[in-house]
Amino acid sequence: MLRVTDVTHAYDAEPVLTDVSMAVDPGQVLALIGPSGVGKTTLLRTLGLSLEPTAGTVTFDGTDVWAADTARRRALRRRTGTVFQAASLFDASVARNVEYGLRVRRPWRERIRAVVRGLVGHEDVPASVRDALAVVGLPEAASRSVDSLSGGEAQRVSFARALAYDPDLLLLDEPTSDLDPRNTAVIEDAIERARDRGIGVVVATHDMHQAERIADRVAVLLGDGVTEVGSTDAVFEAPRDDRTRKFIAGELVY
Amino acid sequence: MAARLGERVSVPLEAVGSALVGLVDLPFRDGYVPSIVVVSLYVSLVAVSLSTLVSVPVAVTMGFLEFPGKSLVKSVINTGMGFPSVVVGLVVLFAVSNQGPLGSFELIFTREAMIMSQFVLATPPITAISLAAITGVDDRVREAARALGGTRVDVALVVLKEARYGIATAILAGFGRAISEVGSVLIVGGNITSADGISKTRTLTTAIQLEARQGRYETAMILGVVLVVLVLTVNTIVVRLSDGGTPR
Amino acid sequence: MDGETDESGSNGETTAQVGVAGETLTLTTTTSTYDTGLLDAIHTDFEDLYGVSVDAVAQGTGAALESARNGDADVVVVHARSLEDEFMRNGYGINRRDLMFNDFVIVGPEADPAGIEGASSATDALATIADAQAPFVSRGDNSGTHTKELVLWEEAGTQPGGDWYQETGTGMGEALNIANQQGAYTLSDRGTFISQRAEIDLTILVQGPIEGGPEILANPYGVMAVNPGVHDNANYDLAMAYIGWITSPGAQDAIADYQMNGEQLFFPEAVSEKPDFQQYVPEGWQPDSASE
Repeated sequence: MLRVTDVTHAYDAEPVLTDVSMAVDPGQVLALIGPSGVGKTTLLRTLGLSLEPTAGTVTFDGTDVWAADTARRRALRRRTGTVFQAASLFDASVARNVEYGLRVRRPWRERIRAVVRGLVGHEDVPASVRDALAVVGLPEAASRSVDSLSGGEAQRVSFARALAYDPDLLLLDEPTSDLDPRNTAVIEDAIERARDRGIGVVVATHDMHQAERIADRVAVLLGDGVTEVGSTDAVFEAPRDDRTRKFIAGELVY
Repeated sequence: MAARLGERVSVPLEAVGSALVGLVDLPFRDGYVPSIVVVSLYVSLVAVSLSTLVSVPVAVTMGFLEFPGKSLVKSVINTGMGFPSVVVGLVVLFAVSNQGPLGSFELIFTREAMIMSQFVLATPPITAISLAAITGVDDRVREAARALGGTRVDVALVVLKEARYGIATAILAGFGRAISEVGSVLIVGGNITSADGISKTRTLTTAIQLEARQGRYETAMILGVVLVVLVLTVNTIVVRLSDGGTPR
Repeated sequence: MDGETDESGSNGETTAQVGVAGETLTLTTTTSTYDTGLLDAIHTDFEDLYGVSVDAVAQGTGAALESARNGDADVVVVHARSLEDEFMRNGYGINRRDLMFNDFVIVGPEADPAGIEGASSATDALATIADAQAPFVSRGDNSGTHTKELVLWEEAGTQPGGDWYQETGTGMGEALNIANQQGAYTLSDRGTFISQRAEIDLTILVQGPIEGGPEILANPYGVMAVNPGVHDNANYDLAMAYIGWITSPGAQDAIADYQMNGEQLFFPEAVSEKPDFQQYVPEGWQPDSASE
């Protein structure tokens, strides 16, 4: 579904990624692991089609993303969803937050009609919104306001928001770094359920154990790009690169 | 929260009540004070509405785009915030006078000319404060809106919604500037009433000025109280409608 | 402004069928004229008679004439003859009529530090004030009052200046308040002084001609139409209807009947058996002198 080939990214001649290649397939969880600041976010954004690499190709469903015209690229990008480390919810009800992705994908006439309906008082919560909230364990939260959510609940709503419009590719940037174990477990469970629906999931995390738990494949970043890509078992048990082995063993200190 | 807000609201409402009772004893002809209140409100509300329609999109554009001369525009807006109203009045006078470029529209000494000058006065504060509110919206919210598939318009709408309390403050600031200014509406409006005392272009502020120049300071002060109560009432209504919300 | 007016004169019993019905007359005038409330009191009759409305704009003498020069007014009522003459000479104003007069008075604190009370010469009184350097408040704003004050200083042969001479740039009422607070002398039109008398401690020290004082303190008002030859948008028809009405016996009686605090404020001048050609032309104009 998504393939990056020999992607290089440099910020003002400072190379962050060099000749990175990997693929993301539907129904798979790929974890990007490595210490903070190593370029996970840059790679994640490249995979999310929102950051153009300095060199290399990004192919989504067979289309060279950055060679295509703006409209086509936007259409492709709309098939992705992103969850950030901070929940960044909008100042509105939970339902309106989760519904956002659905809303912006509707034609304008429908959206105006929905606004009018809302003013008159007929506010139905779409089924996909309820469903997405159920996946993160908040089935009754639709009418709550965002201020009433705890930090963990907010991040779960953020996940539901990215899930509600059924993206093909879901990207998560350190989604559980700020969460307690219980909420972390809920998010990891939600990631699995997304995977089981056939969504391709990419998770950037510095928590190796999390990667071990949830990922089918792992890409290890250690300073000047990806040092190793492979199935989780392969990377963790028999890493090819020496630095990878040391990182996994906790010997490398960054 | 609602109870505390209710307490805060009841104080200005009492003031409105006693001012209205006091109006009965005012040394003015029947209908005079209501007519100047109507003119004040009409001119300022129309000017502020028109200004909002221009200022908020400008603030959104400036909040989202970089363009050459942007810092110059910002300087102009900031200068405009403190610009003396009487000078704006003179400029509008030059424009709408019979000798001016807009002379053929016969706008001199009309409410429309007053609306023009108050439009010019209200726009800088509404733009500047809206811009501050819009740029104050967390970048991460913007990023999220974009990442979830929002077009530029979608993201702008999200930001506007996040900034709505700040924008309401901006509009109130513009209204405050408009309704309390006297220099420009005096020059371009002419402070006119009909012979039976019903206002054509006389506002509360120009009526105060008229009383003051005749040395009738107590009467001027009464009108001043009416003006303050009016502004307080408008502010209270807007705050009430926003549910006294504070931006997070 | 609560003046009292007798209800004499036509009061809308007939509405003339004239082509000006429904139109608005823009009349600019001085603040002291407007603040007496005379215009609001009498204009209703004119409005009813012709089915029009009058927008009376109280701007001050200088601004009233400037508006007319710009073509933003149809008719002006001011009381500064020298400025009216200039206005006519430059072609902006036509069909001038003497309208009414009242007078100026020199007022000051009862203690009268300069000792001018009862002086028969206004110019002598001012010269005395200048010599004594007694505090004096001037309008300083090219109003009719200020224009008269400057004429007086010129006649007295004195250029006023110094700490004792204060130019305020305010309306007459405020100027009286300032003079009151400072125990200063000032020149005031009788009307404004009458309306404020109760609130201030100043008293009339030199009377105007209405009460037997010197002629030089007379304050005549003139009305002029804006020349349609210069501004074709000026509502000349309505301006002439107004001038015709306000110089008519009925309106002139109404002017005489207008009172403030029980005193008559204005003395009509327009209706006269004897011809007064000087009212139509700049003062001193002779047919044989070169047009200026």
